[in-house]
Amino acid sequence: MIETHHLSKLYSRGVYALRDLSIRVEKGEFVFLTGPSGAGKSTFLRLLLRESVPTDGAITVAGRNLARMTPRQVQAYRRSVGFVFQDFKLIPRKTVLENVSIVPKVLGAPVSTQQRKTFQVLKWVGLQHRMNAYPQELSGGEQQRIAIARALVNDPMLILADEPTGNLDPDLSLDIMNLFREVNARGTTVLIATHDRDLIHRVGRRAIALDHGRLIDTDERAPTAASGTNAGA
Amino acid sequence: MRALRYFFDEALASLGRGARTALIAIATIAVAFVVLGGFLILTTNMERVFTRWQDAAEFSVYFADTATAKERTDTQTTLRESPLVEAVEIVSKEEALRRFEQNFAALAEAARALPANPLPASIEVRLRPGSSPADVEALAQRSGQLPGVADVRYDRQWIQRLMHAVEVVRAGGFTLAALLVFAAALTVASVVRFALVARREEIHIMQLVGAPLAYIRGPFVVEGLIQGGVGAAVAVVVLWITFLVLRSRADSFLGGAVDPATLVFLSFPTVAALLFAGMVVGSLGGLIASHSTREVAD
Repeated sequence: MIETHHLSKLYSRGVYALRDLSIRVEKGEFVFLTGPSGAGKSTFLRLLLRESVPTDGAITVAGRNLARMTPRQVQAYRRSVGFVFQDFKLIPRKTVLENVSIVPKVLGAPVSTQQRKTFQVLKWVGLQHRMNAYPQELSGGEQQRIAIARALVNDPMLILADEPTGNLDPDLSLDIMNLFREVNARGTTVLIATHDRDLIHRVGRRAIALDHGRLIDTDERAPTAASGTNAGA
Repeated sequence: MRALRYFFDEALASLGRGARTALIAIATIAVAFVVLGGFLILTTNMERVFTRWQDAAEFSVYFADTATAKERTDTQTTLRESPLVEAVEIVSKEEALRRFEQNFAALAEAARALPANPLPASIEVRLRPGSSPADVEALAQRSGQLPGVADVRYDRQWIQRLMHAVEVVRAGGFTLAALLVFAAALTVASVVRFALVARREEIHIMQLVGAPLAYIRGPFVVEGLIQGGVGAAVAVVVLWITFLVLRSRADSFLGGAVDPATLVFLSFPTVAALLFAGMVVGSLGGLIASHSTREVAD
């Protein structure tokens, strides 16, 4: 699903955010991306969201070279990727229903499809009863569930999450991780960036460890093809 | 259709949130279009009045006191046969004096005190409506060269000058209006940009879900369109009220030179064009502002 080959990202001030990174994430896999602050996790996610392009090397997702894309191809690619952030990135002036349905809406889906998909996904995260509430009326855990619902509403092939439990207590974090596990069980590839090694240990999935932009964990040397592999970090 | 509804819903919600700044943009557009429309009304009516004056214009051929009866008859015949002439009226020296005494009663005594009647005999020529100014000019010149003719006075010359003045006023008005419209477009762009900055997080989310650029920019363009359209509509209403008020008092400041009933407001196509232009200007402002939503991967 995700493949990088000698991937480097150099920022203008001459600092490498990623250096010579060659990794592989299989389709349907659940992988953590870990490392301390400044390890390059967020830069890697930005490259995967195509908000940034590599300085050197290649990055492909489902066979698509992200470095060579027209704006239209970027739009099409992003429609197949769901994202979840630490700060939820929900629109405060929109209800839960509107926050989630914005995805099928901007993609031009008929109203009936928008409503059906939104309701289904809200039901799946267990928040269909809060669909008329505004984000600020929800707890952190509920807001993150809404963000996950929004990421899932368009049936993405890949879910990217940047510290999705960073603002949540340990119990809620595990709840959110269980949601990601369920998403993964449906065949969606999941890549979660987190510095929480305890959480990785509790969830028990493969982890790719970065430090100063370099791959430091040995997991990647013997990649596993199936999801559910626990190599630790 | 769904997209359009989404654009309008979002634009109206945004305008509701930033009503105060939106009002500034609408007022700026309205001022620009009041100036533009005002000049259009002014110059249209000036042109109509001057055209009527031109159609009603006469020219007068004055005879020298030494002109013979034959010369006067020949001149009269030449003028009558011209296709430009509707009618001619012969004014004798005595009739000229009588008219002078009637029109300038205060000077009548002085005129009678003169040893001889100083006013010349003349022919007053009424022109056919719609005759070309150049042809009339040529006829006036030819008449001036006929034997026995001392002078030709042609009203249209100063009307032509007035017409040129209307063109100058119109050009000046349009230049001023164009500058104001440009400023209004920039104001709309600034106001829309405020809305855009307030919604940058939302725009980021839209970009990340792969929303088409048109979908991201659409609400901002529509926001500008609404501001421009409302601004132009306000301008038309202000102009209409001002026009009615001024027309009702036209007699007092035009001194009866123009019949107020003949004054006209902007035609329906012109009003429609102003509203459309307002929407275009507003949309352009919105488009300029939304240009910053263009994503550049670093």
